[in-house]
Amino acid sequence: MKITKTLLLVCMALLLSLPVFAGGEGESTSGPAEMTLWTFQALHATLFEDAAALWNEANPDRQIDLTCETLPYEDLHSKLLIALQSGVGAPDIVDIEISKFPNYLKGKVQLEPMNDKVEEVIDDMVASRLEIYSKDGNYYGLPFHVGAAVIYYNTEIMDAAGVDIDAIDTWADYVEAGKQVVARTGKPMATLEVTDQWSFWPMISQGGGDYLGPDGSTALDSKVNNEVLQLQYDMLYTDKIAVKTPGGNHHAEEYYGAMNNGDFGSIWMPMWYMGRFTDYMPDLKGKIAIRPMPRLTPGGNRSAGMGGTGTVVTNQTKHVELAKDFLAFAKLSEKGNEMIWTTLGFDPPRWSVWDNPVMNQPNKYTDYFANDDIFGLLLEVKDEINPVNITESFPLASELVKTQILYQALSERTKTPAKALADAAATMRANQ
Amino acid sequence: MKSLTKKQNLAPYFFVAPFIISLFIIYLYPLISTVIMSFQEIVPGETEFIGTKNYRRLADPTFFKAIQNSVIYTVLTISLLIPVPMIFAAMLDSKSSIGSRFFRSVFFVPSLVSVVVAGTIVRLIFAQADTALINTLIAQFNIEPQNWLHGTRIHAMFLLLILALWRWTGINIIYFLSGLQTIPKELYEAADIDGASTIQKFVVITMPLLKPIIVFVTTISILGGLSMFEESYILWEGISPDNNGLTIVGYIYRKGFQHGELGLGSAVGLVLLIIVVFFNVIQLFFRGFFKKGAEV
Amino acid sequence: MNEPIKQKTISFSILVLFSLLAVVVLFPLLALLMSSFRPGSDLMRFGISIDSMFAAGKNLDNYKVLLFADKALYPYWFRNSIMILFLQTTITVFLTSLVGYGLAVYEFKGRRLLTSLVLVLMMVPLQILILPLYKMMISARLMDTVAGVILPFILSPIAIFFFRQFSLGLPLDLMDAARIDGVGEIGIYFRIMSPLLLPAYGAMAILEGLKSWNNYLWPLIVLRSNKSFTIPIGLNTLLTPYGNNYDNLISGAVIATIPIIILFLMFQRYFISGLSSGSVKG
Repeated sequence: MKITKTLLLVCMALLLSLPVFAGGEGESTSGPAEMTLWTFQALHATLFEDAAALWNEANPDRQIDLTCETLPYEDLHSKLLIALQSGVGAPDIVDIEISKFPNYLKGKVQLEPMNDKVEEVIDDMVASRLEIYSKDGNYYGLPFHVGAAVIYYNTEIMDAAGVDIDAIDTWADYVEAGKQVVARTGKPMATLEVTDQWSFWPMISQGGGDYLGPDGSTALDSKVNNEVLQLQYDMLYTDKIAVKTPGGNHHAEEYYGAMNNGDFGSIWMPMWYMGRFTDYMPDLKGKIAIRPMPRLTPGGNRSAGMGGTGTVVTNQTKHVELAKDFLAFAKLSEKGNEMIWTTLGFDPPRWSVWDNPVMNQPNKYTDYFANDDIFGLLLEVKDEINPVNITESFPLASELVKTQILYQALSERTKTPAKALADAAATMRANQ
Repeated sequence: MKSLTKKQNLAPYFFVAPFIISLFIIYLYPLISTVIMSFQEIVPGETEFIGTKNYRRLADPTFFKAIQNSVIYTVLTISLLIPVPMIFAAMLDSKSSIGSRFFRSVFFVPSLVSVVVAGTIVRLIFAQADTALINTLIAQFNIEPQNWLHGTRIHAMFLLLILALWRWTGINIIYFLSGLQTIPKELYEAADIDGASTIQKFVVITMPLLKPIIVFVTTISILGGLSMFEESYILWEGISPDNNGLTIVGYIYRKGFQHGELGLGSAVGLVLLIIVVFFNVIQLFFRGFFKKGAEV
Repeated sequence: MNEPIKQKTISFSILVLFSLLAVVVLFPLLALLMSSFRPGSDLMRFGISIDSMFAAGKNLDNYKVLLFADKALYPYWFRNSIMILFLQTTITVFLTSLVGYGLAVYEFKGRRLLTSLVLVLMMVPLQILILPLYKMMISARLMDTVAGVILPFILSPIAIFFFRQFSLGLPLDLMDAARIDGVGEIGIYFRIMSPLLLPAYGAMAILEGLKSWNNYLWPLIVLRSNKSFTIPIGLNTLLTPYGNNYDNLISGAVIATIPIIILFLMFQRYFISGLSSGSVKG
């Protein structure tokens, strides 16, 4: 009977095809070492690809064949968690975003400690950026940047409104300037994220606030956090100088489009946001000036060290030493830190390179922004950055900020700022 | 069944063997193991029994919201996706219908569309920009552009319902059409002679005789509704504002795979099982399924 | 109003209603198709609009990148989806038809229990078992394999139930005749009954095929490397603000959809009659 035969054939085909995906991971002893790297940010992949090319030039006997895969943010982190728990399927090297990092430090850590590489250079680095990716004295993740928060002004709009951005010293000044901008141009001074944390977190950090205390206890409902959230609420609804970010956050296409169109006066984001301007908002070339953040209190900090991604080597790599050496080359060496600036436009965590000549040479970032000396600005504010506390509860705290506090207090106004913070803090305490 | 001889002792077991094997491997073993896991804390390299802590941790407003969302979604999908396709099927089946073969194919087409694609389309036509299709449409009625995806809880549920209606109406129409074909036409002719109106015929003849199909569709809708995950995962990439799109399975996924808490995730899974069984028992009870002599 | 005119009015209004609905139902797909020739980032910015559907500047770039670019992944995803679709559908249909048939035509010890179990399992969402199943796949070393993706689904209780219902209507006297001719029980299924089950095979093949083609949650967990993704999993990896891949997303969505619709239109008559003939009795 035909059907019987077909079905038997199919069953055989099944048996034969099982190893199709399982194969292909075999180790080849000769030739370049094959390595896979996962990232959630396509721009990061370019850095690693460039670094791999340089590495291969310099190390002909230790060649790497690097494959970078860009996965969506949530997918990457859950797939990695699954892979590390199951002991199979993890890449050799992977980017883990700061909000998720503590999830990978639970139990027996499935990542390779980088201590031997880190300890060689830690005196030249902004150490707090390495400590946020460490546990029990082991450094696991290597940072991309300091993440100094700055404010980007659209000078065309500021000029049209007659605002002198250098005269803005505090957030109160900023709000006043904003009113002038709205009155004269009809355009909002700022956009506030309501589905992500980059508008809120830097401002609380400026005032010494944070999600967690140094001991990991909840600090979401602190006085500073309340003041900042109320200030943001007032910007939106009382002073009406700001609007909710189109698309909810500053990485949405809706936002890029509107900002590129010249719809908003300014935006505060960490320095690593520069690449988003050059890549997604080409029409603003030459019109964007970078300045330190306004101060929350007179004499207070003008910046904050924000966000970050720790790149790690997993314990599933077949080339532990090679992967660690390559990662150290890309993230810790002077050359690597220079590349972090020249290819990504990030403020590299190794401060010993900040006054290297290459940092002042023209590149696509210096061409794009109206500043003369971007790194001078960084040097100016580097001592005005508070450390951030990243402990086991951080993923939950960050999730609450992104999905509940900002949404409830700023977007839908279902709760007052104080109530939204208090409720989230209660949730945190119930989970701790 | 009378023609069966009892000689063939082993043959029936050959036929049902795959089911018995899968019962143990795919259902029973994992079920037992999920019960055990729900009393454990599982982190790489260290697994320990922690008593009922996972269950106590379920007293979490986020979880309650997930249950609420799933239950509301289920109730709404059932109350739309049973009557609407049933009426459409009756209309397609009636002798007044022109081109019914064409229309039932057209209505079926969306169920061929993968949820990722359907979700992407919904995101794009319900985009926040005032140039997007739906926002330009409602502007005709002087309604302000809405932020559908990141709006209120009602917006979120509305999008999920639109998605469900679009994708499932066609398939339910087919189920009801197949049921309609089992209804003897003489019943309608007799009713015509008695001068019954179309609506009377629908209520008195069609609906009662469609009961088996209604039970079937309700059962799979309860299952589908309470275990919904993909739609919300695609629309909000796993994290919806204020958890407006979070479902029970979404909560399992979040706890198990995003936070790496397999034990807590297992406890959620068991709670979901209880809810599903509860809903089904209720609906079967109301349909007289437990009455004596009911045919399985 | 006399009867024929009334009849015609009703027919006409139903026709108008259904035509309108057909437009509403098909419009999103048309919009997707027409938008797929435009830059993806524009779509994410402004959404799909009538303007964007009919705007000038359409080209095939999105499709070229999707299919022919260096390191294009989409062809892999397509191949994987087809392979999983084929294997999952044939195995599921074969095994569930055996079980459903066995439950329907034989009287044996445990039959009632097994039948009730099928009904109970129809009400158990497999999703609640993803965590233990996932642990099981790890110990069985089936992560990132085809077998791992399809294994939990091959004994679909709904399909078993469908085949049981269908088999209840099989002419059992044929079996007795065959037995007299010396045909074994297994032979009876393959030689005598399977041709009669063809419509049921067809209906279930399409339903199970659809399920496999669109399966999301489980492959998302099992599949790891981006060359082993299926289309839905792969497409979703393009839906990220950090990837700059929206061009591929839209054209990939079209290619994931159009072939299925064409296949359906070709076989729809068979499908719908198959489903109807297996009329599901509660």
